[in-house]
Amino acid sequence: MSNNQQIFEQWLEGKISAEHCAQQLQHDTLWYGRLQNALAVHADAKTPEFAVLPVFDASSAFAGQWQRPAAKRSWWPQVSLALSCAAMLISLSPAQFRLQDGSLTLSWHNPKAEVEAAVTSALTAYRQQQQQWLAQQLDFQQQNTSSQLVLLKDYLQDELKRDQRSDMLQLVEYLNQQRQSDWQYWQENYQPMQAGYRPADSYYLTPTDSGVVKP
Amino acid sequence: MFKRSDESLIAKALNGDQHAWQQLVNRHQAALFYFGLRLLGSKEDASDLLQDVLMVLCRNLGQYRGDSSFKSWLFGIANYRAMDMLRKRKYSDNDDALAELPDDAPDLSQQLAGTQQQQQVRQQLRSLPPEQRLVLELKFYQQFTFDEIAGQLAISANTVKSRFYAALDKLRLQLEDDHVEQSANF
Repeated sequence: MSNNQQIFEQWLEGKISAEHCAQQLQHDTLWYGRLQNALAVHADAKTPEFAVLPVFDASSAFAGQWQRPAAKRSWWPQVSLALSCAAMLISLSPAQFRLQDGSLTLSWHNPKAEVEAAVTSALTAYRQQQQQWLAQQLDFQQQNTSSQLVLLKDYLQDELKRDQRSDMLQLVEYLNQQRQSDWQYWQENYQPMQAGYRPADSYYLTPTDSGVVKP
Repeated sequence: MFKRSDESLIAKALNGDQHAWQQLVNRHQAALFYFGLRLLGSKEDASDLLQDVLMVLCRNLGQYRGDSSFKSWLFGIANYRAMDMLRKRKYSDNDDALAELPDDAPDLSQQLAGTQQQQQVRQQLRSLPPEQRLVLELKFYQQFTFDEIAGQLAISANTVKSRFYAALDKLRLQLEDDHVEQSANF
């Protein structure tokens, strides 16, 4: 490829202007002439065309080639699928259909809240039951305690009486022992002395009728 | 406004979208018709070529693979059909008569350019051998590269160039004979 051909093709590719190309090629008559002719054809190519376009029905050919009658679609499979999906969704969702008193109602229930309510109700019932049982137990315990206290009181009273009686007996016995002791001590220590000092007609020398020994 | 690509329109047309097909036709039918008008020299032939190419395009729309631009692929079809028509005319008529056909081109040139130079360019283009005329048409009027032209005509780029320069040389001689002065006012 010659240098001039390169210059000419650069102009063809739009890399250089026609004026620059003409300057480069003006010394080569062959390439300069080619450029001039190319410019003339190029100018003609840039001239807009005004010839009326023929009317050609391309649509009919296209319709015969590519358009197909629309397939008859049955909507039942889609409807069936949609209803199945809806049923599955309703069964999985908290929605509930209720037929009550001749009216159909759609409600949304929360299983968690329902469980919580059931647990709360069960706990309340259990608490009430426990309270009743405790009250019964307490009452029974009180009755039992009362009866035991009565028994204890009776026992204590009996014991107290027994102790008091025993104490009194012991006291009497003690007192008797003390009197006996005092009597013996008097007889041993003071009676001889008293006898020495007592006149003959003393009361204490006179025997008693009762048999009691006078001190 | 957003303009859909040829590939997008083809894809829609292949799905039966008639509007896309009509858009595709409207986009390229003018270039095809004027291509035929310049190459074949008469409105009737150009109209026949346009119709023929559109029918072939409609039948083979699904064969477009996008290896080249759609316009280049379309003109590959148009080139083949146009050369086929010229070849048939060559055998049925005298080839030299093509340049002397009392076609619409002179009137058209008067309507369009109104200059004597452009009338002479059109006349002399018509007098070139069909293969050379085709290369000039594709290069200057359709703005294809040498490689694209080579792809459309299934020949080498060097052969395209040799036809191109031979056409320019022949045109130069004829223009010189006609004493047409060209001005480089581009």
